[in-house]
Amino acid sequence: MVEEKRILYEHLDVPDINTFDVFRQYDGYKRFEKAIAEYQPDDIAKMVMDSGLKGRGGAGFSTGLKWSFVPRDIKPCYLCCNADESEPGTFSNRYVLEKNPHLLIEGILICCYAMGIETTYVYIRGEFTLGKKMLDAAIKEAYEKGYLGKDVCGTGLNIDIYTHPGAGAYICGEETGLIESLEGKRGQPRNKPPFPAVEGVFSKPTVVQNVETLCNLPFIVGNGVEWYTQMGPTYGDTRFDPPKPDPNTGTKLYCISGDVNEPGVYELELGLTCSELIEVAGGLRGEEVKAVIPGGSSAPILTHYELDTRLDFTSLTLAKSMLGSGGIIVMNETRNIVDCLLNIMKFYAHESCGQCTPCRWGTPWVRDIVQRIADGGGRPDTITRPKFGVTESGRWGDTGETEEIYEDLDLLESVANNIANVDTMTWNTICVFGIAVSWPAVSYMRKFRPEFEAAIREGKLVTLPVAEATVPPEENYAYQQRFIPKELESE
Amino acid sequence: MSDELIQIETPFAFNEENQREFDELIERYPIKEAAMLPTLHLAQRQAGYITPAVMKYVAEQLDVTVMKVKDVVTFYPMFFEEPVGEYVIRVCHTLPCALRDCKVVLEHLKAKLDTDIASETNLAKGTTADGKFTLMKVECLASCDVAPVIMINDDLYKNLTPEKVDEILETLTG
Ligand SMILES: Cc1cc2nc3c(=O)[nH]c(=O)nc-3n(C[C@H](O)[C@H](O)[C@H](O)COP(=O)(O)O)c2cc1C
Ligand code: SF4
Ligand code: FES
Repeated sequence: MVEEKRILYEHLDVPDINTFDVFRQYDGYKRFEKAIAEYQPDDIAKMVMDSGLKGRGGAGFSTGLKWSFVPRDIKPCYLCCNADESEPGTFSNRYVLEKNPHLLIEGILICCYAMGIETTYVYIRGEFTLGKKMLDAAIKEAYEKGYLGKDVCGTGLNIDIYTHPGAGAYICGEETGLIESLEGKRGQPRNKPPFPAVEGVFSKPTVVQNVETLCNLPFIVGNGVEWYTQMGPTYGDTRFDPPKPDPNTGTKLYCISGDVNEPGVYELELGLTCSELIEVAGGLRGEEVKAVIPGGSSAPILTHYELDTRLDFTSLTLAKSMLGSGGIIVMNETRNIVDCLLNIMKFYAHESCGQCTPCRWGTPWVRDIVQRIADGGGRPDTITRPKFGVTESGRWGDTGETEEIYEDLDLLESVANNIANVDTMTWNTICVFGIAVSWPAVSYMRKFRPEFEAAIREGKLVTLPVAEATVPPEENYAYQQRFIPKELESE
Repeated sequence: MSDELIQIETPFAFNEENQREFDELIERYPIKEAAMLPTLHLAQRQAGYITPAVMKYVAEQLDVTVMKVKDVVTFYPMFFEEPVGEYVIRVCHTLPCALRDCKVVLEHLKAKLDTDIASETNLAKGTTADGKFTLMKVECLASCDVAPVIMINDDLYKNLTPEKVDEILETLTG
């Protein structure tokens, strides 16, 4: 049985931890004081790089690397803390804001010190009224105690933190959408490059970082890199010789919801498997796992054959899915995958910002196809197309054979792949929202094709038993192409 | 028609408290326009919804065109351009809540309040005849662990059942 490893959440339930005095009793701000007393800003940046910390907001991009792209000679530089948390299935940032806001402030202070930043905006989603209230109160206290404002702790640093409310648009979680929204415009993502690290808010270099990422900083500084890197696996990237270390260090606030007995946030070391997490969350509610979404609704779905996949950045990417924001949604045998896809596609069709044609038109189109199938109007005509599968060389590819497929399923795949192509990982849109649409659409359809076919054939939603609803591993594109990384031997 | 005319002609200005908050807000950003979202939130809290007069006022305060304000207001679901009820009930209906029967909660609310569900372009459709409640569906409220959830104005209600909904409504109407 895997044990919870509470670090970020360790003191979450201490009464009044949201006040300065209680937070102080639990080492509060001492790690920031250690940072300014013992280290130069560049040392901190190096520690973050060495810790292998990866962004917890969705992309999983190395935080140290991101910081290294920021030009040091252009001032001011801004920090935007991403507290927009709108990915369905994700709810860990909310608890930090509501219960332990000083921890976030300490993380922000360390980041500001390391990067020479004077102004931070915390972009909080509009619905988090309580979270914003608690953070505002904590910021006010920190100003009073001299940890924010002019000449922080007598060091000569000036650091300001402001909260900025969003107004209900999911796309403002995308970093450039967030920046546009912060500037007072529609939250429509920008073309990249230039990346925000070079040209972000108010055309100045900007570091965009998720709440959870920033909350890791006090612990990296406080306990040291060595302590931090012991948590979680470090894999060897075998494309390099000798294998290049690929760290998945630290803990993750896994948010688990859906059909488990005890949904909630569990802080665990990265790298446990999907089935282990379900056990930690009180076990499955129901008889059998039908499917698991491993990283918020944007992530490709996993079938019950893939439950041994480890829930970390590298393993999930190599399993053709992603850890994303760490929102895990479990579905039991009573769930209909067509129905679930319909729900998710309605979400995306509602949230597209409307800038790019493939996304603006394609997303509602995908939704409409799924709706038609769910309503029993799926078109029963079939077409013949090249069949993909395991080829003679043992790899996934065009088998040279053909297959019959329902016209609507082919259409679904083709529309989704024209927003963003799942196989080549190329997108025809400005932001990766496009992938967040086509990933679920294509993966649900391919992995649970019998259920989609049954719906078209019978003219109504049919929930098949798990074994029948799922395509077998040898026909599962992701299973066939997945690669299980090996941990580096520690010397 | 006459209603609309009155709305346009009723001018809007921040009350003293909000003016103070606004003055503080505007200091935070290097450009005035960046205060758009917080300013609109303030204005909506005072006026109930964003009328043309509010847009005009906000535009003047932030030195931008009215069109720019309108552009923003239409983009974000949390800004209303029509009157809403005293209590705005937001029912989450995204996947994790759907897996925990949010439909039952929604249907129960619909029957209990005897109203339809508001759409973004027609809020009146989801507003009760007495103007007390507006019922709308929203996407994930980031509380999927306590699904199904609803938000009434600024408060979140968790693990809902029809019985709990009844209790909540009673405290609001009673
Ligand atoms: C459509 C979309 C929605 C996103 N929503 C969020 C979000 O709600 N919260 C978040 O922290 N990151 C979100 N991201 C990821 C951000 O773009 C960005 O990668 C992240 O904030 C960077 O911070 P990190 O490196 O600390 O993870 C989203 C990305 C996309 C494409
Ligand atoms: S992909 Fe969609 S959400 Fe992203 S910029 Fe284009 S239209 Fe907007
Ligand atoms: S789906 Fe309802 S709170 Fe997340």
